[in-house]
Amino acid sequence: MLNIFLQQLINALTYGSLIGFIALGYSLVYGILKLINFAHGHIVTFAIFITMSMLTQFLALHTLGFILALSLALIITIGVTIVLEIVAYRPLRRSNRLSLIVSALGAGMVIENAVMLIWGPNPRVFPDINFFQGTINLNGVVVSELNLFILFLNIVVMSILYLFINKSRTGIAIKALSLDYQTAQLMGVNINKIIVLVFVLGAILGSAGGILIGLTYKTISFNMGFEYGLKAFIAAIIGGIGSIPGAMLGGLIIGILQTLSAGYISSIWANVITYSLLILLLIVRPRGLLGQKDIEKV
Amino acid sequence: MKRILLLPLFILMCKLVVAQTYIIGVQAPITGSFASEGQGINNAIQLLVAQTNAAGGINGDTFKVVTCDDQGNPQNAVICAKTLVDAGAKVVIGSYSSTATEASQAIYAKAGVIQTSDATANNLIVHAYPTYFRNSFNDNIEGNFTADYFVNIKKYKRIVILGDFSAFSTGLSASVINNIKALKGNIVYTGKITSGDNDFRAILTKIKALNPDVIYYSGYFIEGALLRSQEVSLGIKADFVGGNSNDNPQFLKIAGSKAKGSYLIGLPLPQQLDSQQAQQFVADYAKKYNSPIPSIWTITNADGLLTVFAAMKAIKTNDPILVAKYIHGSIRNMPCLTGYMTINNQGEREGNIYQVSQIQSNLKYKVVYH
Repeated sequence: MLNIFLQQLINALTYGSLIGFIALGYSLVYGILKLINFAHGHIVTFAIFITMSMLTQFLALHTLGFILALSLALIITIGVTIVLEIVAYRPLRRSNRLSLIVSALGAGMVIENAVMLIWGPNPRVFPDINFFQGTINLNGVVVSELNLFILFLNIVVMSILYLFINKSRTGIAIKALSLDYQTAQLMGVNINKIIVLVFVLGAILGSAGGILIGLTYKTISFNMGFEYGLKAFIAAIIGGIGSIPGAMLGGLIIGILQTLSAGYISSIWANVITYSLLILLLIVRPRGLLGQKDIEKV
Repeated sequence: MKRILLLPLFILMCKLVVAQTYIIGVQAPITGSFASEGQGINNAIQLLVAQTNAAGGINGDTFKVVTCDDQGNPQNAVICAKTLVDAGAKVVIGSYSSTATEASQAIYAKAGVIQTSDATANNLIVHAYPTYFRNSFNDNIEGNFTADYFVNIKKYKRIVILGDFSAFSTGLSASVINNIKALKGNIVYTGKITSGDNDFRAILTKIKALNPDVIYYSGYFIEGALLRSQEVSLGIKADFVGGNSNDNPQFLKIAGSKAKGSYLIGLPLPQQLDSQQAQQFVADYAKKYNSPIPSIWTITNADGLLTVFAAMKAIKTNDPILVAKYIHGSIRNMPCLTGYMTINNQGEREGNIYQVSQIQSNLKYKVVYH
């Protein structure tokens, strides 16, 4: 019985981590621009497809090929993200929030359709890699090497991100910008550089989540970004949008609620149970679990 | 004299007016999750029509294919049905899924358009539409075959039945469950997954605790492959058996080496058809499209069109109402690509060519029971 519970918990944490990686992108951008970047889920889809293409090209080179494919895919995804920020968001930075949101939605549709036109409308299969194929049996609890890597990466990424935001000069600039846009600019913070950096960070974390989704579930499609993006967006809200640990916590909570509902009550009712509980949680704590109250400045 | 000279010219002109292009509609999922199946069906119909036209057509008519992509969903199926009726289609092949077929049936029936589909859900026959006939076999036949294999042949003691919410999967699950109960088999769990989801580890972990002998899945190949793959990853030792819609090359691609050992209950695979006519068709398809036929459903739909052509030739008219009337009850033991075609008065295909295949280490199917 305990074995089954532990197995469900591992299922939940790995699934939640994948959502959490994508949710980080929403939270990071919102923290700075107060923008819900609805194109983020589609950037993740783009990252998955470009990685698939690169892996298909270079996988014959084994580990070196994997690193090469991943690096090239990441560089291209970063390039697309930078173009997106410059073309779709920067010109609207001083306009009202609604224009930015509409621009984000439009950008998302452009990316989704571009993925469909480039890779086709049919589901594709993500290539196999030569490592993370084994499983470890811990007294009846079976954990795949890939799942262990996901959990390990989660801890590493969160630690690095925490140190980067709180200890590095650039991280402190990001925090300053999120607190007060204009004052940070007066203090010499290059806001264009920082905003691009935040978009790029979000894209890298989302790409990591997307690639792990591809490796885990194998089947990918051009419109998958919408569903994952929506779940990640909800995770970011639950955790407290703008909060980095909150985004990951939100992802893990969604993973736990969905998995335990499906495992112990009914898979049919998993979504109903999960999202009903999340609505209750938001009623009790509207700013999310780790969200901070905005201080009204006079 | 002048009139006599003009007579042959008049007859020729009449023939030109009467001989027209007869439209064959294809309603299939050309894009979306079932795209490989829809494209296979469309390719097969295009191939048959090209071959028939090259042979001079039938009863003075040549044929033209108009295709509509329903993406396998009922909303688009309705739009496709209206589009194809408006385009003047007299015969429609499709759709692939029971849900999309059911949504379009009434529109074709009302317009007097012949419709033939590989869809297996029992409820496709309940309305007894006079222009609809099935080119595969219904769920009851597969349910009966599956239950017999589980209870009497494999002697499974703890059976799990999973399905999705589609009309096809729901009908097939129900049929398998009823037949297992009739044979006093022991079902320890029945459940549903949502088509389009891709993480089934929670429900599989729950199933693992029940220590089943077999997990049967009545839905489609993408979720089937993910279930099998995640079953192996979780260390579940139960056999995995997929229903007829797990027959697709994507199953092997998604599940990869974890597909090894799993079973498929369905019609023979294209390469397993032994008649010369079938092998010729498989070869013609591969030559024209430079790829193999995706699944048996491509061929049952081709059989549907061949049945229509055979009826046209038999009654020497292409009138869809008369052709449909002839097909319902008069087509009996007609040699076709998947064996013999017999259509009863309700439009049901009679017979049973089900078999069990097991995926080997080299990811090839081997027939283990039929």
